Amino acid sequence: MLSPHGLKLAAHIISTYFGDIVCKVCECLLRRGPLSQLEVTRFTELTKQKVTDALLVLIHHNCVQAFTIQQPGGFGEPPKIMTKYMALPDNIIHHMRFPKFLSIVSDEFGQDCAEIFEGLLQHGRLSLNQTMDRYKDKHKASGENSSATNVVHENFSKLAQARYIERCPAHEPFLEPLEEGAKKRAKSKIADATQTLEARALAAAAPMESQRFLVEADTLIGGVLDDEDSKKSSITDIVGEKRKLEAETESWETNERKEILWRVNFEEFIRRLRHKSCVSHVTERVDSVAGIVLSAIFEASRKDETRVKTEKTVPLLLETIYEEAMKTEEGRSLTLERVRAALVQLGCELPTIGIDETYSIDLKKIIYQAQAQEVESIVLKKYGREAYRIFRLLSERERRIETDKISSTTFVEKKDALKILFQLWKDDYLNLERVGNEAQKMEIMLWDLNKRSVWEQVLDDMYHAALNLKLRLVHELDHAQDLLRVLKGKSLKEGDEAAKMRKKVQDKWKVLEASFMILDDAIMLFHDF
Amino acid sequence: MSLLNKRKKPEPKQAGGLPELDSKVLEVIKSKKEMAIWTRDLKSETNLTDAVINKCIKNLLNSSHIKEVVHVQQKGRKHYIAAEFEPSKEITGGSWYVNGDLDTTFIDELKNLCLKIIRKLKVATADGVYDFFKANRLTNTECTSQQVSEILRSMVLDNMIIDVKSTGLGEYHSIPVGQVCYRSPPGDLNKGGPKTGALVSIPCGICPRIRECTPDGLISPTTCVYYTKWLDF
Repeated sequence: MLSPHGLKLAAHIISTYFGDIVCKVCECLLRRGPLSQLEVTRFTELTKQKVTDALLVLIHHNCVQAFTIQQPGGFGEPPKIMTKYMALPDNIIHHMRFPKFLSIVSDEFGQDCAEIFEGLLQHGRLSLNQTMDRYKDKHKASGENSSATNVVHENFSKLAQARYIERCPAHEPFLEPLEEGAKKRAKSKIADATQTLEARALAAAAPMESQRFLVEADTLIGGVLDDEDSKKSSITDIVGEKRKLEAETESWETNERKEILWRVNFEEFIRRLRHKSCVSHVTERVDSVAGIVLSAIFEASRKDETRVKTEKTVPLLLETIYEEAMKTEEGRSLTLERVRAALVQLGCELPTIGIDETYSIDLKKIIYQAQAQEVESIVLKKYGREAYRIFRLLSERERRIETDKISSTTFVEKKDALKILFQLWKDDYLNLERVGNEAQKMEIMLWDLNKRSVWEQVLDDMYHAALNLKLRLVHELDHAQDLLRVLKGKSLKEGDEAAKMRKKVQDKWKVLEASFMILDDAIMLFHDF
Repeated sequence: MSLLNKRKKPEPKQAGGLPELDSKVLEVIKSKKEMAIWTRDLKSETNLTDAVINKCIKNLLNSSHIKEVVHVQQKGRKHYIAAEFEPSKEITGGSWYVNGDLDTTFIDELKNLCLKIIRKLKVATADGVYDFFKANRLTNTECTSQQVSEILRSMVLDNMIIDVKSTGLGEYHSIPVGQVCYRSPPGDLNKGGPKTGALVSIPCGICPRIRECTPDGLISPTTCVYYTKWLDF
């Protein structure tokens, strides 16, 4: 769930990409949660056709997921099967990161792959054949038609293998009502009961891991579906998985054996960016060797990572890490001993027995440190150095501390310390507890960091700031356009002025855009990592 | 009242040479030892009037039997202590206070020295820094090893230095494994102080009116003066 300004930013992104009508539908879903088409029509007061079109656009661009659910009927009526639509706020926000994703692909696989990838970003969902057509269209002039199929197929496989693209989820998975279900599944049901409806729908829609990145099967459309055995063997414990498969089969059948659609796998990019952020934080905080070692660990455990928010890396042998580090140019000069020292600096304990020493890095801690650094810099700039010291003390100790102790540890006069503490408390950074002592007529004030609220507030402020940057950019461009229109067709001297102005607007645009990209990294740090 | 009674009788002097009331007040002050006593408490304990107490205190101060001290937490309240005692840590605020005020010049001086020592030694424990102090006689003012550790801890909070646990390898070879030691932060942190965050590098990050800012409101990003100033180049 997004914070209030996160919702506003998401709505703004949709409105710039797809216009106001789509934005209205999307905002309605974002604010009210999963709704049926009828409900959307009622709430938005748009015509049915417009709502349908908007939902189709949103689904096609992976901003909305549909699912069917059985709802209890009225008195004496049988239960109804209903299709609901839910917005995917994270996927919407990812739209502003497309340039980042594209540059990762083009850096790793070059221009040809980037072109295919760009198509998927632009169109949301494409089949392999559509990608092929797109490629042929674009390169018709240069006459590369003959080998085009091979090139596209090869690049497409490359992208799928790197998990940058994936098969689209099922269109409308059916969610089994929670009350029913076999007794055997009781255990997993309890685990799933804590999941929200949205999470269940997403899990039910996701393609099976074994097929998710499978390109070859794309050409065999029908063949794979008949292969019941392979399906059964890979069934996981997700509730409704079996039903999901049936639904999937049905939908494919009713869709006249359509081609398999592909889309960008945002998860992999977020994982990549998370790794990059961890490495850069460690390089800055510890040293470059620690950075090299950490990125070697990420590289070596790439295939084993399944979730984005992995708390600890997979335990790896020291030799494996060393070998991986040796593959990079900077890591070639490292010794085994130096790698071990870097691992210890990264927070690993040295094993007592020297045989088969494995190491696992606590990523959660690294991410927390990076987040704390961001919050601290806000405190420093807003409240000054003494407040910064007090804030760091409270964030480090993670327990309640009394005023006198804070004042003496941070070398701030008690009166000033109290003033700062109250200011921070007023702005919701701290919790305050007063402990009275009747006998001595004294009152002790205990302070501690209100971490959850601070982190939420900072993230919301970031969304707000990002939205403001976007709005200001639009405003600057509009303003410049108006002025240029006035200057157009005037004398040469004024033409000079126009050029100057263009340059000025360009500079402003660069500053705003660069700030936005940096801010977006921070948003990901707090929300996605 | 007769004229005879109106004239003041010379107060009976005690063996120590002090009048009776003065010595009574002195006794109470002495009984508090290094904790000192506030004039109001003195009054309630001796059952004397303000005027009498003030006079006694004046006499005792003049004869150097007592002295006035500043209570670090109650600067407005006059506290007195017997001359033979030194005020306790609770009264003075500890070694970092002079006359009830934080001795910032001394603290800053000590911080700078510690920073220089750590830069020179690269990695050092609190004791290591203190030993360096003593060996090289870097400061005229006395400072204890306790003070040095307190200073180092506050410097960590300032992000001027970082605390790490010794690995016993490389630079840490002279320090036992697991012991806390201090070093200057690597890279950028070393020069420019704490890193500037992404949010504070744009006007919204520190904007005092951010809560009132809305896209179409009176305060909005399109009309924002902070933005105009920021983008004015």
